[in-house]
Amino acid sequence: MVLDEGREFCWREGMTVADLLKELDDPYPYAVVRVNDAVISGPDFEKAAVPRGSEVHLIPLIAGG
Amino acid sequence: MTDLKVREIKRLAYERPPIRRGYANQTLYVNISDSTISCKPVSEKMKETFVGGKGFDLWLLWNAVNSRTRWDSPENALCIACGPLGGTPIYPGSGKSIVTAISPTTGSVMDSNVGGFFGPYLKFSGFDALEIQGKTDVPTVIFIDGINKQVQVLEVTGLPEGAHEISEVLTNHFGQGKPRNISVVSSGPGAKHTLIGLLNFSWYDPKRSRARLKQAGRGGLGTVFADKGLKAIVARWDTVTLAMNDPADEAALKEVARLHSREIMEQDPKQNQMSMVGTAHLVPIMNDYDLLPTHNFRYGRHPDASKVGMDVYRPLFDKGYDGCWMGCSLACSHGVKDFVPTTGPHAGQKVYVDGPEYETIAGCGSNHGIFDPLHIIEMNFYCDNYGLDSISVGTSIAFAMECFETGLINKTHTGMDLSFGNKASALEIVHQMARGEGFGKMVGQGVRRMKQIFSREYGADRAFMEDIGMEAKGLEFSEYMPKESLAQQGGYGLALKGPQHDEAWLIFLDMVHNFMPTFEQKAEALHWFPLWRTWFGLCGLCKLPWNDVVPADNKQTKEPAKVIQHVEWYTQYFNAVTGKSLVPADLITMSEKVYNFQRILCLKMGYGRREHDAIPYRSMGPVTVDEYESRAERYDKQLKEIYAVDTDGKDTAEKVKTLRKFREERYEQLKDAVYERRGWTHDGIPTLDTVRRLGIDFPEVLDVLQAHGVA
Ligand code: SF4
Repeated sequence: MVLDEGREFCWREGMTVADLLKELDDPYPYAVVRVNDAVISGPDFEKAAVPRGSEVHLIPLIAGG
Repeated sequence: MTDLKVREIKRLAYERPPIRRGYANQTLYVNISDSTISCKPVSEKMKETFVGGKGFDLWLLWNAVNSRTRWDSPENALCIACGPLGGTPIYPGSGKSIVTAISPTTGSVMDSNVGGFFGPYLKFSGFDALEIQGKTDVPTVIFIDGINKQVQVLEVTGLPEGAHEISEVLTNHFGQGKPRNISVVSSGPGAKHTLIGLLNFSWYDPKRSRARLKQAGRGGLGTVFADKGLKAIVARWDTVTLAMNDPADEAALKEVARLHSREIMEQDPKQNQMSMVGTAHLVPIMNDYDLLPTHNFRYGRHPDASKVGMDVYRPLFDKGYDGCWMGCSLACSHGVKDFVPTTGPHAGQKVYVDGPEYETIAGCGSNHGIFDPLHIIEMNFYCDNYGLDSISVGTSIAFAMECFETGLINKTHTGMDLSFGNKASALEIVHQMARGEGFGKMVGQGVRRMKQIFSREYGADRAFMEDIGMEAKGLEFSEYMPKESLAQQGGYGLALKGPQHDEAWLIFLDMVHNFMPTFEQKAEALHWFPLWRTWFGLCGLCKLPWNDVVPADNKQTKEPAKVIQHVEWYTQYFNAVTGKSLVPADLITMSEKVYNFQRILCLKMGYGRREHDAIPYRSMGPVTVDEYESRAERYDKQLKEIYAVDTDGKDTAEKVKTLRKFREERYEQLKDAVYERRGWTHDGIPTLDTVRRLGIDFPEVLDVLQAHGVA
């Protein structure tokens, strides 16, 4: 199970950040997702793995500047 | 121990007015040519029109200068102001100062915001703004002592040169055992010998027992300061309390401050972790999205970027509270303790370095093709110590490096190998800037003047340098790659002072999220965001708590980019302090008055028209065949799908030319749309209707407009 802002969902072997977002069915265009201490940006969502038991934060908007 | 000799030149004893609803209702005027010191009243009309902070600065500057005033004219006024909300100790980010003057690099109006204790201490001492005119040959310190109600102009000899040492010495000298009561404004030796000098503002960090520094970096304001003969400005004030700003509704203020602070404490660890790594969190993200400038903005990504990413800096930052104003829970002003520089006057000594922040990492690291975190810290330290803007230093050295690598200049001109990646040379350039010698002195003139010098003296290709020299209006670009975001090109090119991202940072909204596909939507963003961000500068606030942390449910709101919950909180905050009953849209109108007034002040100084909003092609698209080919797939696709160009059989040089034509046209179309949205003429000048609607149709404003054909 992976925890996101209190939402729980099923984890499966080989799950990527892109898989996770699909599963959440959240239409917001996230630019960055933090998986434990690693910051994953959009271009890497397809290849970044989500290990079992990860703490995931969906970062809503990059403020910057 | 420094042996200071202090001689009083002039003193003004004054009555300290009580602060009323965030205002002291007077400003301080000092002319260091003849040592005039006086207090000027602030009228209700001035507050109504200009609000405070940057607005007050600009009004004082308007009255101080004429169209022939140059940056080094005695009448050029260096103005520093806080704002009606500035100095509130419980609301995050409420201690900013705004500095303005006529800039040495742009010749026009410059503004730069900065943290530290100075602005609030100035206000609590009885002054909403400080205006300094004149020039002097004696090393001068202005001491504003709010506790003893006196302002002194002092001749001080025996001061050290570096900003860290000046701040330390003067904090001890004037602090009388209470160093937290002192804030020092200083520059450094680099400010004297270059046009890109900055101002360091100190804030005393009791936990680390040292005066720490924040910078008003952009546009050479430190150079104006040094040219005037100023060594320092010191403000002294006592313990700060919430009641000091005389808020109209203290209970409402406490409540809204509590809400914003609590949200920061809860959300920042989950979001950007500003309180742990500051703006360094941006490095890997910018790199991933091809937005981290490398090699003079040729490219936006580099395989070594992770070597200077936040994971590298996180363990280097000294742990502890790092708020540059009291009670800022975002507390992003991190530093590196016991750093030992390898070069320069501090080689081998342990020093404390404030930073590095994202801009310095990108400007003095990736943009030079350098991915060594310790080198960047050393560049950061010396830029601050010498009073040099690390953004302009970064972008200027990057330009010189590309000129060197492309053979436009060579070792006989530079005296050193200035290839990308050469750390020793980058540091030596900075030391030369401080000593005012060698090639570094030339780099310290900034990109615009280097282009002139290289073509005039060395026969370098001017047209190519115009394409790759990342400056606009005479100011060097800050460190975001705008090539693929038209809205960000506008955010840079249409910013009043020059290409600094503090007006509009739209890269993500535009390029990544595609939230603004049409010209009209981009124009709307380039209307709203600069006005909203101007508002922070009017009030004495830091913008970071607005959108570097957002409510958990922000993404469900209609316009997440505006962070409407925070806009509402800021409105409540403003009302709670000033006693007004404004709604969020009123805040935008407040800014619109000042924003248009600043554009007309630029016009008065001979700038502020369409031609001045030009940007170099490097910021719009690939200048060279190499740049094109590095992202050929992207550019080919755009040519085919957006512009319906058949690329088959075309060589790269031809495709570069074709793409350029489209992109330059798009930028001009964007200008049209933005000018129209802002209520400006086709030439980028506010119309009569606009100035009348905003109530800034003073006779002197109308005279300037008329002189430029707007009547
Ligand atoms: S967010 Fe950072 S820069 Fe802004 S006031 Fe707080 S500590 Fe200073």
